[in-house]
Amino acid sequence: MEKTIRVLVSKIGLDGHDRGAKVIAYGLRDAGFEVIFMGVRQTPERIVNTAVQEDVKVIGLSILSGAHIPLVKKLMEKLKLAGCEDVVVLVGGVIPESDKPALKEMGVSEVFTSGTHIHQVVDAIRRHVKV
Amino acid sequence: MKNHGDEIREKERQWKDETVSRALKKYPYLKESPSRFFTPLDRGENYDFLEKVGFPGEYPFTAGTYPFDPTAGLSRLAAKVPAGSAHTRAALYSGYGAPEDTRDYYRNLIQKGGRQGPNLAMDLPTQCGYDSDNPLVEGEVGKVGVSIDTLRDLEIIYEPYQGDLNLDRIASNFTINAPAIYLMAMYAALAEKRNIPLNKLRATPQNDILKEYVARGTYIFPPDPAMRLFRDTLIFLNKQMPNVNITSIGGYHIREAGANRKQDLAYSMAIAIAYLREGVSAGLDIDEFAPRFTFNAFGGSMEFLQEIAFQRAARRMYARILKENFGAKDPRSMIIRQPITAHIGPSDTTIQRPLNNLTRAVIGAVAGALSGGTGAPFPPYDEPLGLGWSLEAQQLMQDAGRIITCEARLLDVEDPFAGSYCMEYLTNEIEGEALDELDKVQQMGGAVAAIESGYMQKQVAGSAYEHQKKVAAGDVQVVGVNCFTGENELEVETTRLVPHPYDPDKRSRAEQLQIASLKEVKQARDNREVKRLLMELEQKARKPDEALAPHLVACAKAYVSIQEVCDVFRDVFGEYDPPSIL
Repeated sequence: MEKTIRVLVSKIGLDGHDRGAKVIAYGLRDAGFEVIFMGVRQTPERIVNTAVQEDVKVIGLSILSGAHIPLVKKLMEKLKLAGCEDVVVLVGGVIPESDKPALKEMGVSEVFTSGTHIHQVVDAIRRHVKV
Repeated sequence: MKNHGDEIREKERQWKDETVSRALKKYPYLKESPSRFFTPLDRGENYDFLEKVGFPGEYPFTAGTYPFDPTAGLSRLAAKVPAGSAHTRAALYSGYGAPEDTRDYYRNLIQKGGRQGPNLAMDLPTQCGYDSDNPLVEGEVGKVGVSIDTLRDLEIIYEPYQGDLNLDRIASNFTINAPAIYLMAMYAALAEKRNIPLNKLRATPQNDILKEYVARGTYIFPPDPAMRLFRDTLIFLNKQMPNVNITSIGGYHIREAGANRKQDLAYSMAIAIAYLREGVSAGLDIDEFAPRFTFNAFGGSMEFLQEIAFQRAARRMYARILKENFGAKDPRSMIIRQPITAHIGPSDTTIQRPLNNLTRAVIGAVAGALSGGTGAPFPPYDEPLGLGWSLEAQQLMQDAGRIITCEARLLDVEDPFAGSYCMEYLTNEIEGEALDELDKVQQMGGAVAAIESGYMQKQVAGSAYEHQKKVAAGDVQVVGVNCFTGENELEVETTRLVPHPYDPDKRSRAEQLQIASLKEVKQARDNREVKRLLMELEQKARKPDEALAPHLVACAKAYVSIQEVCDVFRDVFGEYDPPSIL
């Protein structure tokens, strides 16, 4: 039997708009993943620490404040330092089309904007996580 | 009349059995009629117009908060006013970067003929009570709003507001919640330094902390001490700044976070009741302060008839709560003052074929115009395309509102659906559902208890998820998203040519500039005095009955920063730790 994939879903930075993050957390839970939901106002440090402790394969970040570039950059650096480069990072939120290449370059696997279906996120996880 | 009712009931049964059934046979894929028809019976037993609806501007305010909308009569006049000088008292929600950037933005508006006071969006560090130099907030300074660390920043922002635009001549809006008490203290300090009496100030702080726990998330302290800060603010404003609104309650945020109509209405009312009780328990007469409660907006959706009913029900419900539960006598205590009525929600807009959002917003605006508001086709169609609206989208939004007022003349009749069998049914229905949910919350101990236990948060997150599942299953149809997406559809794209009003260079430099400015302020001020004030603040905060606002005005004048104040409160009150939603 396939081992349950652990996914960490979190907001990052100070932005408190968490509807998307909560819906994704519920959706991934119901799709059979083990979800660790961290909620709002998390720092890159805390997210990476939790990711290590909980041995997650995926980190899903939700950002709607426009601060995605510096925040994701910081998180990717911390992940690298923690030796977790194989953790799949997904970003969702209000991300202008023009910022997507920069996020991908930093190592983000997929960027999801409004209108995304949960199955698209589920598919992305199954595609990127090698079990 | 009774005989007539029986006659209608009998006739309705016949209609269903014969006319409808016969029609259904032609459409074998339909099990029942896909639409409804309403009769006088649906308005409820003994429908009493005066009790249920009444006249616009009179109890129970179902037909409207005001007897008429002055913009209807002003439409010809408004057309002659030069562009950019709208006659509202506060500018559009705005603010970015360092205080200098926002000052320049407002100065530019004034040079173009603007007469409105600032309507300040603040950055997230400010809203969450952090200073710009805190490493925790790196990258967020001056984003989504202007950065305010100390009184110095407010002084800069208000530089263009002098003479006939001085603080006693304009109205200001502040979207601030958790640290609202300190922002209002800063505004008072600014006025006192300009020798303007506090009772001449007009302003509206959002100051709606409870909804921050359910939606939006810029809370700092646990709900209980947050309510103490609310009470302190209420008492201070009531006594010293009687022309300043106390709160601007926002069901809008709760709905956008996923709440359905019933939850939006019930939780907004529960939150309003919690705030009103703070004033009452402080020994104030309800009519002394309730007239200065305002509403930011309730939420909206694409469901046209239901959203009109919602607005009618909200007005009636609030009026009855104030009159019956709080014993208000002044009609001004009983009205919902809000800038817009029905509208769609930004979460109804789609990134796919974005011009369709203009169509959506217009439908919401028509609902607004028919439910006692101005037709406000909000948001601009490019809402989901990224942060910030293009000028084209804003122009089209404004024009759509003008077309609704000046060409379609939808403001010419107040509550045109009054007495409609369908509308009265829908109004009763949403009111009944919301009353049941409100009862549930009150039995838990009210809004604060329902937030502490995580009940409201879970209900709203659950509704958001249910909605998403319905969209995914196609049970809720969204054009261009889950239906009408075939190959033959044209994916209409749009260009956004006009540059954003905020200067991108200034935006990118704002954080460094603001950190340097804060450093300068912290060096130049009397730091011994700051220390003394903060110690005194801590002592006062530890005594639940001590009024904090007057002391905070002294702190503001000494350039104590927002984080320094909030850190004292963090020590004394603790920080909010949300319950799990999973």
